[in-house]
Amino acid sequence: MNPGTIDVDALRRLAIEQPESLSTRILALALCTAFLVAVLVLVRRGRLREEYTPIWTIVALGTMVLSIWFDAVRLLTRAVGAWTPSSTLFFFALVFLLTVSLNYAVRLSGLSLQVKLLAQEVALLRSQLASRASRTLSHMDGDDEAPGDAGEGGAPAR
Amino acid sequence: MSPPRPQSLLVIPAFNEARSIGDVVDRVHRTGLDLDVLVVNDGSRDETARLAAEHGASVVSHPFNLGYGAALQTGYKYAVRQGYDYVVQMDADGQHDPAYIPRLLEPVRAGEADVVIGSRFIEASGYEMGSARTAGRVFFQRVLVWCGGPHIADPTSGLQALSRPVVRFCCSDFYPFDFPDIDVILLLHRQGFRIREIPVTMAPSPPMRKPMHAGLRAVYYPYKMLLSTFRSWLTPRVKLLPE
Repeated sequence: MNPGTIDVDALRRLAIEQPESLSTRILALALCTAFLVAVLVLVRRGRLREEYTPIWTIVALGTMVLSIWFDAVRLLTRAVGAWTPSSTLFFFALVFLLTVSLNYAVRLSGLSLQVKLLAQEVALLRSQLASRASRTLSHMDGDDEAPGDAGEGGAPAR
Repeated sequence: MSPPRPQSLLVIPAFNEARSIGDVVDRVHRTGLDLDVLVVNDGSRDETARLAAEHGASVVSHPFNLGYGAALQTGYKYAVRQGYDYVVQMDADGQHDPAYIPRLLEPVRAGEADVVIGSRFIEASGYEMGSARTAGRVFFQRVLVWCGGPHIADPTSGLQALSRPVVRFCCSDFYPFDFPDIDVILLLHRQGFRIREIPVTMAPSPPMRKPMHAGLRAVYYPYKMLLSTFRSWLTPRVKLLPE
């Protein structure tokens, strides 16, 4: 076959207009439904916070809509210049996963900072408590006024 | 009546330093210096905290390992809350000689500097560093100067003296978890703090000790430092709230 005789546009239109397989649509619908149910179960069990569910709910519902209304996928395929609807779906899935990953990296960074601050506060408070307990014991033993704050294990070193 | 509290706090971050921490604290005692000693136990799994306390240091213990920078910062927060005017920091592995503490503190107390760094590389001190690390050090020295920072011969030296305003500033969220380096120096410089170096000699790293930037860290660290320095370069000057 001579590449010069191939009508590329016609080939592309053929690829886009291919009828979608019924089994694929049923599978997509079933998976989306299962995914939605999983999200709800995780929320009910307290393992997934509600604030993290909207994006997954939108994705599941969106995929359901596209499974039913496949022409929307074809429209998108033409718009982005892809050749097949499956390429379009993979492309947007990849962009979505990258965005979500970046979002979680940002949230994780915030959480790491919070954990650090908490751990430091715990350490400093424990030290203060130990120091006060040590001063209280000294007073109870009738010692002179105790020296300034001590951490765990005793008076400040000189 | 108890003696007045010293104005200075010596902060020693420590992670699994049971082998050396007792000796380090004892050496500080023997100098007879008028300062309090705080060991920040960064989630050690050995007897670091107990030994430090036995040798007379105050100890603050993280519930788990947070990193060298976070441990230093805990020491700074302790110093601010307890009202210390000056902080000296040194390592727990015995590399730093406490005899240098007065020389580090002198310019800070005199108001001539806000940060004084004990530098291995101002004068020939015989301290040996591998060629890769030396190249890295020289490269980051240049990066610091290119970004408008001061020329610092030993930016990673853990032997430093700081004034209270610097300590307060370093209590903020920007301070790195892991290794304060040229990123912190640049930020302090841009804040208007005066940074100086004095020559010191340091003992070599203890044997059998895993290098700080071994393996993948040797690749990650330069990348992280460049990014962090870039952030410092872009950070506008902030006004410290009065106490």
